[in-house]
Amino acid sequence: MISDSFLNRLKDILGPSHVDHSEAGLLTYAYDATPNFQSKPDVVVMPGNTEEVSKIVKLCLEHEVPIVPRGSGTNLAAGTAPTQGGLVLLFNRMDQILEIDKENLTATVQPGVITQTICETVESQGLFYPPDPSSMKISTIGGNINENSGGLRGLKYGVTKDYILGLEVVLPNGDIIQTGGKLAKDVAGYDITKLLVGSEGTLGIVTEAILKLIPKPEHKQTLLAVYQSMDQAAETVSSIIAQKITPATLEFMDQPTIGAVEEYAHIGLPTEAEAVLLIEQDGPQAIVENDIEQIADICEKHGALEVTIAETEQEANQLREGRRAALSAIARLSPTTILEDATVPRSEIARMVQAINQIAEKYNVGIATFGHAGDGNLHPTCMTDARDEDEMERVEKAFEEIFAHAIECGGTITGEHGVGEMKSPYLAWKVGERGLEAMKNIKTAFDPHNIMNPGKMFAKDTKKRITI
Amino acid sequence: MKLCQKHGLPIVPRGSGTNLAAGTTPSQGGVVLIFRNMNDIVELDEENLALTVQPGVLTEEIHQYVEEQGLFYPPDPSSGKISTIGGNISENSGGLRGLKYGVTKDYILALEVVLPNGDIVRTGGKLAKDVAGYDLKSLLVGSEGTLGIVTEATLKLIPKPFYKETMLAVYESLEDAAETVSAILANRIIPATLEFMDQGTIQVVEGYKQIGLPTDCEAILLIEQDGPKEIVEQDIEKMYSICKEYGALSLSKAVTEQEAEELTRARKDALSCLAYLSPTTILEDATVPRSKIAPMVREIKKVADKYDVRIHTFGHAGDGNLHPTCATDARDKEEMARVEEAFAEIFQIAVDMGGTITGEHGVGEMKAPYLEWKVGELGIEIMKAIKQAIDPNNIMNPGKVFAKSTKKRVVVSNV
Ligand SMILES: Cc1cc2nc3c(=O)[nH]c(=O)nc-3n(C[C@H](O)[C@H](O)[C@H](O)COP(=O)(O)OP(=O)(O)OC[C@H]3O[C@@H](n4cnc5c(N)ncnc54)[C@H](O)[C@@H]3O)c2cc1C
Ligand SMILES: Cc1cc2nc3c(=O)[nH]c(=O)nc-3n(C[C@H](O)[C@H](O)[C@H](O)COP(=O)(O)OP(=O)(O)OC[C@H]3O[C@@H](n4cnc5c(N)ncnc54)[C@H](O)[C@@H]3O)c2cc1C
Repeated sequence: MISDSFLNRLKDILGPSHVDHSEAGLLTYAYDATPNFQSKPDVVVMPGNTEEVSKIVKLCLEHEVPIVPRGSGTNLAAGTAPTQGGLVLLFNRMDQILEIDKENLTATVQPGVITQTICETVESQGLFYPPDPSSMKISTIGGNINENSGGLRGLKYGVTKDYILGLEVVLPNGDIIQTGGKLAKDVAGYDITKLLVGSEGTLGIVTEAILKLIPKPEHKQTLLAVYQSMDQAAETVSSIIAQKITPATLEFMDQPTIGAVEEYAHIGLPTEAEAVLLIEQDGPQAIVENDIEQIADICEKHGALEVTIAETEQEANQLREGRRAALSAIARLSPTTILEDATVPRSEIARMVQAINQIAEKYNVGIATFGHAGDGNLHPTCMTDARDEDEMERVEKAFEEIFAHAIECGGTITGEHGVGEMKSPYLAWKVGERGLEAMKNIKTAFDPHNIMNPGKMFAKDTKKRITI
Repeated sequence: MKLCQKHGLPIVPRGSGTNLAAGTTPSQGGVVLIFRNMNDIVELDEENLALTVQPGVLTEEIHQYVEEQGLFYPPDPSSGKISTIGGNISENSGGLRGLKYGVTKDYILALEVVLPNGDIVRTGGKLAKDVAGYDLKSLLVGSEGTLGIVTEATLKLIPKPFYKETMLAVYESLEDAAETVSAILANRIIPATLEFMDQGTIQVVEGYKQIGLPTDCEAILLIEQDGPKEIVEQDIEKMYSICKEYGALSLSKAVTEQEAEELTRARKDALSCLAYLSPTTILEDATVPRSKIAPMVREIKKVADKYDVRIHTFGHAGDGNLHPTCATDARDKEEMARVEEAFAEIFQIAVDMGGTITGEHGVGEMKAPYLEWKVGELGIEIMKAIKQAIDPNNIMNPGKVFAKSTKKRVVVSNV
């Protein structure tokens, strides 16, 4: 609970209209996109600039009030659920693109800008910001930075971290620091920029970011391949990479996903197929055409039943639609959808998908899998019902086994969605007790009073590791 | 590590000692740790395009090994013939291919590290994506042996580019050269190499090598592109016209591999030629936003004149990473004092332009007194807190990165 004097000082800093402690306001921010985590904050604030953020942090430190920075709340790891109450900090008033520097190919932005706005704005100037999470229509750049989000273009272009040149950050003691710069190279001291990217709001508050831009690719082509067997699809992926082609997009959907998508969108996918690959290439026209032709050959050689190359942008959109609609299509099928994020070395994809199917059967739960095949980043998605306790228990067991399996394949518990509160009991499985300890030491160094997004990343207890 | 902890002895991990920031001088005594017996290539995983190596493997050995398999490890510091991968990782080294391909950090997938308490941790994996916890890997790369000892690394490989072309452009004025650089990038071409030499450097190289460089020009650009043949040819052609349009006096395009060698030789020999000039060579590493290259080179010249020291500049134009290099004599105390003042002013100008005191060589002991100029007092504080969290007894490479006291800032007008 927070005191009246705390509230009054907040209102002094921000003006009363930017401090919300109405019941409706608190309820709105008790949730994020993660099922099963709900908890009301004590107050919601909307700062307008970095100095205000710094003052808020100092005030919270004084009163030991937890701070939960929140973009659009689309994260899937309970990263913004205020499970220890406290103050939710919104960036809807810090949502400007401050500068596009065409000479140095950078954009300077505030944390509340919507990802898609950045992409569209820079593309209208012939430039390109590659990281494109499927949630980009609503996610903020501040959220992307703090989750180190990936996207459909990750295979060729990398993830958010690869495009962050510098940050302005308010540290948990209220200090404002600038890291990095409009620099291709900078080795002055420890790399605070990269440490903060992906730190899920637990080390500081990002109040400004310098993004790296690249020239916009001049041409793009899209292809869809349908397979009788998962193995053939996986072999296709390996073979494309072995041919030294790096497609911009290399996405996949399994049979349950295809079924769900077809039922939802009726785009003519063969529901008996075990796998579909969506492949895109961008770049200079001659190269793109050449690559797509080679890729089509490879698909056919590995037994694709059907290979469709889009002739027009409209056809390309149709081909993409299935993959884009995957999550919403699956979500329609049951009251609760739990999307996971296990990631394995590329060579292990087919094995991993098989293991997921076996595990789903073993625990008698419905899991559909789609994801970024080129990155080894899979999204096994469980269709369930949070009200059915017995089933939820089985779901949890199934996911535990999936995590354990991913790690045994040399993979990780999360490729792009983050740890948050949801996966924190499993973090030690990936990084080890010693690794976890080193991370906790860093957390304490930054935030000795644990006011920044407490309860996220580090769990009270690690789940007992299961062995397969 | 555990033994040193017990006895409170400093540890200085050392690759080949080629760093230029006094990063491996055991200035507080202690144990120097050498990786000569940990120099195996452990595994090449062709399916996942990953190479696992021990820290003592030489950079060039890695290049040769993977290129034989049709693969490519891009980071190529000029010292690659003798530098170790452990040193490259701990300095986050760059190279001539940095503009297009990035630096060492972009190619480290996983590390095995011995932490100062003796714990062995593994970070990362053969994974394109991994967000499980804080990014210890990125923190360790470039930490100059102050946070732990790298005992194994998994490197990311890419397919080897099919084809490469090289050209050299000579300019009457620095600004023309700088505008060419901007124009190339504005035309959406990202060349593999975009290197630059100033007049002083050109004169010295020509003096020693007599390769026919025009000594009356203000700047030379060395440009390379790699990739699929048709694209390379197209890009080189476009860049050729851009160079011309922006006033290049002469342009040479290599037709054979041997000619390409000759064109690149001048840039590759720059440092060794400058080193002939005088008993002591001090190479710096100031880096600015790309758009500031021409003004920065001008400022460096002014500073050299002001302090009456000999400084020539070459470097990675595409990255904004300049190497102002001073030919001097360490025995001449009076001159050395001026050299130090000159470099202090150069650092300050770089920082004022939005740049940094070091782009790829690291802070070490030498630049530690200047670190605060770039990262600020509060920035140093948080870095020290991290150091303290990981190495509370300060046994890992003590005295590096963090100085006892910060140099007083110089105030530079007119920038
Ligand atoms: C339909 C759907 C599709 C998705 N697709 C993808 C995908 O393709 N790839 C992918 O990687 N993710 C995906 N996600 C997950 C999610 O959208 C991303 O993690 C996204 O980056 C979150 O952005 P946000 O603005 O909603 O941040 P939030 O969810 O509000 O916050 C995310 C984290 O960042 C912190 N945070 C936010 N702003 C700041 C700030 N300014 N300073 C400090 N900390 C801050 C929060 O505390 C929290 O820990 C998807 C989610 C959904 C619902
Ligand atoms: C002629 C010449 C040209 C150069 N060109 C370039 C260039 O183009 N680009 C560039 O970036 N640099 C360049 N350098 C600088 C230098 O070569 C690089 O920094 C190189 O990476 C150092 O490698 P090394 O093996 O010599 O490491 P060392 O100098 O021995 O060590 C460098 C740092 O790494 C630490 N270290 C070494 N091994 C380990 C380990 N296993 N674990 C933990 N810490 C470790 C050391 O303590 C030290 O702080 C050049 C230097 C010279 C002399």
